[in-house]
Amino acid sequence: MEQEREEEILSAIHHCVKCKLCSIANFHPNAEWLPLCPSGQYYGYQAFYAPGKMEIFRAILEGEITEPSEGLLNSVYACTVCGACYEKCKQITNVELGAPELFEEMRHELASKGWSLDVHKSIAEKIKETKNAYGERYEYKVKEGATDKNADVLYYIGCTARYRVPEIADAMLGIFDKLGLKYQVMDEEWCCGSVLFRTGQVEAAEKLIEHNVEEIRKSGAKTVVFTCPGCMKTFEKDYPDMGVELVHSTQFLTRLGNMNLKKEDLKAAYHDPCHLGRDLGIYEEPRAVLNEVADIKAMKREKEQAWCCGSGGGVKSAFDDFALWSATERLKEAKEAGAEALVSACPFCKRNLKEAAENEELEVYDVVELVNRCLEG
Amino acid sequence: MNETFSKLVKELQAIVGERNATDDRAICTSYSRDQHWHFVPAKNPACVVRPGTKEEVRSVLMLANTHKIPVIPYSTGINVRGLTIPVHDGSILLDLSRMNRILEINPEMKTATVEPGVTFGMLLEQTRKHKLRPAFPDAPLTVSVLANYYLRGIYQTSATDGHDHTISYEMILPNGETLKTGSRALSEMPYFRYGVGPDFAGMFGAHPGTCGVVTELTAKLYRLYDNRKEYFIGFDDVGTPTEFIYNLMHDELAASIRLVDNQSWLEGIFGTFDYAYEKLPKFVVCVLVEGVDGIFDAKDTLVRKYMNESGGQVLELPAEFARTFEDECLGGAEKSCMVFGLPGKGNYHCIGLYGPLTLAAKYYEVHEKTALEVGIPKDHIHFYIDPIYSFHGQLCYFELDVFYDGSDAGFGEKLRNYNEKQFHRLLDLGIYGWFRPYAGIIEPTAERIGYLAEVWKKFLHVLDPNEIMNRGKLF
Ligand SMILES: Cc1cc2nc3c(=O)[nH]c(=O)nc-3n(C[C@H](O)[C@H](O)[C@H](O)COP(=O)(O)OP(=O)(O)OC[C@H]3O[C@@H](n4cnc5c(N)ncnc54)[C@H](O)[C@@H]3O)c2cc1C
Ligand code: SF4
Ligand code: SF4
Repeated sequence: MEQEREEEILSAIHHCVKCKLCSIANFHPNAEWLPLCPSGQYYGYQAFYAPGKMEIFRAILEGEITEPSEGLLNSVYACTVCGACYEKCKQITNVELGAPELFEEMRHELASKGWSLDVHKSIAEKIKETKNAYGERYEYKVKEGATDKNADVLYYIGCTARYRVPEIADAMLGIFDKLGLKYQVMDEEWCCGSVLFRTGQVEAAEKLIEHNVEEIRKSGAKTVVFTCPGCMKTFEKDYPDMGVELVHSTQFLTRLGNMNLKKEDLKAAYHDPCHLGRDLGIYEEPRAVLNEVADIKAMKREKEQAWCCGSGGGVKSAFDDFALWSATERLKEAKEAGAEALVSACPFCKRNLKEAAENEELEVYDVVELVNRCLEG
Repeated sequence: MNETFSKLVKELQAIVGERNATDDRAICTSYSRDQHWHFVPAKNPACVVRPGTKEEVRSVLMLANTHKIPVIPYSTGINVRGLTIPVHDGSILLDLSRMNRILEINPEMKTATVEPGVTFGMLLEQTRKHKLRPAFPDAPLTVSVLANYYLRGIYQTSATDGHDHTISYEMILPNGETLKTGSRALSEMPYFRYGVGPDFAGMFGAHPGTCGVVTELTAKLYRLYDNRKEYFIGFDDVGTPTEFIYNLMHDELAASIRLVDNQSWLEGIFGTFDYAYEKLPKFVVCVLVEGVDGIFDAKDTLVRKYMNESGGQVLELPAEFARTFEDECLGGAEKSCMVFGLPGKGNYHCIGLYGPLTLAAKYYEVHEKTALEVGIPKDHIHFYIDPIYSFHGQLCYFELDVFYDGSDAGFGEKLRNYNEKQFHRLLDLGIYGWFRPYAGIIEPTAERIGYLAEVWKKFLHVLDPNEIMNRGKLF
């Protein structure tokens, strides 16, 4: 790491007063104790909370930690990089560096020393071989003749919607069809590289970026639509400016205006995905869309202070028990809010929440699924 | 890590479960430093143990005592004074945060009994259902109620609450024996501090380390009133408002009073930089009045009278300021400059002490003088006073603050120089006592307390002959 950057990081770490207020949502004015940091809450040791992790980063940079112990790898990688700690800290301190940014750099530092988790290394291998994060060898098929090569809109599907929660991709395509909108998809869509960035394996993403940028340029599209906020964040933050507009499905849908949706008699809680909310600042559009199709029941931890579903930052692949525990906590909150369904706007959230809800009487959807269902076909 | 220690970790895991004890270097590092690191350098514990029950605490202590291994109890570890940073190599950090049950809230007795991991926020969430609240330190509401009260338990945020919030507690000693203080020793009723013999709750608490591990503590709760009103009065110096403060305290009119210096505390308390603080007078007295209907009105009338006679400028501050002031005093601090910092000065250093209101102006004078002498710029020097009921001896808490950039090693050096001079100067000037007897401040003080120091040492020896409880730097 460059010395200047190292000094900046150390300075930010020194400013953390270890008050741990970042481990709870705003206490005032309702005087409710609501945990905010999934990793600290689940594992308990200080190392799993933001201030403890920062201390570990300090010790790495100052050469005190020279071995990748199990505790080091667990505390660094069993963090969903959800950013909830940072959002809280920002409100009460003058902190200058975002914790998720800091923690991603910490992972990069670890990865550059070869201190990555095997499961994350194997994801990088899979991506290298198959160009998707799940190592799948088949293609997600879009209905023949549905796309239009000259369309201004390109739908970037993303690995998770293609291979693990195809109902989201199906729903998005269904919406395009039902509304008679022209769209295209990439001839050869490669993983966006998000998982590599989140797990510190930054260099491995270079080829993916090159390929996807080239494909988008070739397509002539003016707008790229994402159902996956993780992909969208990666395009926004880590890709060069391609002169195209990047929009999330919910932004795209709100812009369409009246879609003649048939509102359902459904009480739904909206779960803010971390990448969509805290990272991209998109809070209102998903609520506006959901409001068209269901009655929204507000949960206690929302928006900047939403509880993470537990699957981000490479956690789902490496610490599934923790990921499912975090999701279960969210399901409880949705039920307490009186919801019959928990609705998100991210395939990672949907997948993890759905899995946790297997034996629950709570439905889990992505907002585009409900929109597709409520569109007059 | 040597072989004997690895064996010890296995034994500890056998007590608390594999998941709850570790000597992993990184995990230990996460406990190695707090905000006081310019004064107490980083040091790793050799292992971290997280017991879930009293019996586990007892077994860990007995094992440590057999092997003469230092133990550092840690409830939430937010103490800002290096108190949970190991003094000795090879220490066990005893993280008690898993023990976080509220054992009882007794609205009739106005008490709560808690385990070490219960925070002020957790407790208030439950007590407010009974229109009750704990007494709050001016600390983040994430800190442990038990550890805070055990450490001293005199609070300034609400003058009415006074001191002595601790009623009784249960402590496990290194030899595995359980000590119960107050009425708790005699019966199932832990509701009276002065049971049999001396005030043991006082004797076992407030050490620069600990005597044992407190596993549960019963504390007083106080009423939450619906009627509340805040006033803010500006002054240009520290001396002028002391008469006003004296009158309020003498007639027991205010729930909270604090004289703050507007450039730090006001700005921090109110959690926003978006206000023209520089237009306010240099010092602001914040007053909070509360009470049941008739009493509230009567108090409020008298407060206004004293306020109008005070020679200060009555300030109209936005409603949100009053709300945050209320929260900080009677609901737990969440937005505070201690955490908040000031732009470019994110870290907080303070000397907290108890003394009489009569010395207020002198304390401020010596604070400014010493700070300037060691090269601390004037705009980093801050101050506040909180008077405390009962007002015998005109008891006040004073805080001599410096906000600074913690990453600036040179500033750390200045603060060390400041402390070295200031501890002696304040002792010479006359104080009632320090806010906490922490390492650094306690050594020059112990030299002045005569034979008491000898007795203190012998007392600790009886409870902890192998000296395994983290003793701070004293004895
Ligand atoms: C920004 C900031 C401002 C603060 N301002 C104030 C203030 O104005 N007033 C105030 O009173 N406090 C203040 N504090 C300090 C804080 O309130 C107390 O130190 C804290 O409440 C103690 O709780 P803890 O869990 O952090 O203790 P810890 O850090 O866990 O422990 C502190 C000490 O108590 C011992 N200890 C902990 N648990 C036990 C136990 N169960 N049995 C025996 N010994 C134990 C430890 O070994 C250590 O010596 C402030 C803290 C911060 C971060
Ligand atoms: S990250 Fe911010 S909120 Fe969290 S402990 Fe540090 S200073 Fe406090
Ligand atoms: S990013 Fe999320 S999981 Fe990680 S430390 Fe912060 S709040 Fe906890």
